[in-house]
Amino acid sequence: MNRTKLGRAFLAALPFLIALILALVLAVTLADRLPARMASHFSASGDANGHMDRGAFLLTTVLIMALLGALWAWMAARGRFPGRSYDGFAAAGYAMAAFFGYLTTATLLLNVDVSDSGPEASFTMWHLVGACGAAAVAAALGLCAARLLPPSPDEPKSSGQDGARISLTDGEVAGWARSATSWWLPLTAGATAAVGVALMVAMGPAAGVPLLVIGVLILTFARPNVTVDRRGLTVSGLLPWPRVRIPLERIEGATSQDVNALSEYGGWGYRFRPTGSGVIIRSGEAIVATLESGRHFAVTVDDSATGAALLNTLVDRRRGRH
Amino acid sequence: MLFRVDPSSPVPLGDQIAACVRRAVSDGSVAPGERLPAARALADSLGVNVHTALRGYQRLREEGLIELRRGRGAVVTAGASPHRARLLEGVRAVVAEARELGMTEGDLLDLVRAELKA
Repeated sequence: MNRTKLGRAFLAALPFLIALILALVLAVTLADRLPARMASHFSASGDANGHMDRGAFLLTTVLIMALLGALWAWMAARGRFPGRSYDGFAAAGYAMAAFFGYLTTATLLLNVDVSDSGPEASFTMWHLVGACGAAAVAAALGLCAARLLPPSPDEPKSSGQDGARISLTDGEVAGWARSATSWWLPLTAGATAAVGVALMVAMGPAAGVPLLVIGVLILTFARPNVTVDRRGLTVSGLLPWPRVRIPLERIEGATSQDVNALSEYGGWGYRFRPTGSGVIIRSGEAIVATLESGRHFAVTVDDSATGAALLNTLVDRRRGRH
Repeated sequence: MLFRVDPSSPVPLGDQIAACVRRAVSDGSVAPGERLPAARALADSLGVNVHTALRGYQRLREEGLIELRRGRGAVVTAGASPHRARLLEGVRAVVAEARELGMTEGDLLDLVRAELKA
């Protein structure tokens, strides 16, 4: 790992580290003034409706901060950040760390001098505003800090015109389709729907229906279909909608590339990054389309070379260049 | 897999769709168990009639290259080897040549039977 990457990884992990240390220091100094069972979850009106053991609360905080910090550091070190795209990524990390850090600190302070049996801690919604404000300030700080690092060289501007082609005769109509399989999508869908049903039984329909709907929605995407044809690049589920479609007129060109889900996209699913977005269900080969806006759209699928070549051919044909 | 059809060609579009799949199986770019787009999705993609796409798929099912299941779309059968696809292409070529010669169905079948017994 070279020095730039080390610097970036450190800068990305820093806010999570600070938030973590702050929460721990606060917890240690206030140790004898905190109740054994802390109010850790609050209803919209501000009353506590969930409690957690003090040790468990701190452990959860440490785990969340450490995991997020590690993820950000890993992405900073391994991901591709052409130009100044690292800045936005770092700022997002700072905002997230400040948001969680604020909420953790506020929760700790609210529990001070609350006895196990005495009046409950209460949490006003103003704290959420405060957390958002803290996130905005931290994001600005993160942006400034990232600006101090030198930018990466821009990735070579590939307009896609150098990508592979498929030879089509003039009247020929072509379409390419491939379904992608993954073991975790149906599992996630099932788990989400199951939690939804459990919530519905335990707490009434309002609590469970949103999760159930999301679960069913993911299920329709259990076997996403990737299509390249006269309409553009489409990723669809079982039903005609919802789907992601990039029309041909917005596409400059496409290549087949290997992508890494965690380091380049920060995880799996429909991902948004400073340099573009993607439907990423695994690491490995993907069709990466360069859009007219200069952003990228990636979709992981087998035989991506054929899909990318057809996409280039169709874009050429649309623009009347052969 | 890649589908390509030419609406200006004298070959019916359904046959062209079937030929794409046959070719893909014979050159190994489509493997047994792979899912092909549903007939409706394929028709939308290529801008052809759904019945045209279905006709192509039904033809492939008769040849044993794909299975059609309600709601599950088309799946390349376990027995759809490149070898089998090439054999099918050969059979089609023989039938086309026999037609050109003006042979009847009986004449051709007799020839095939004689070859099988040899």
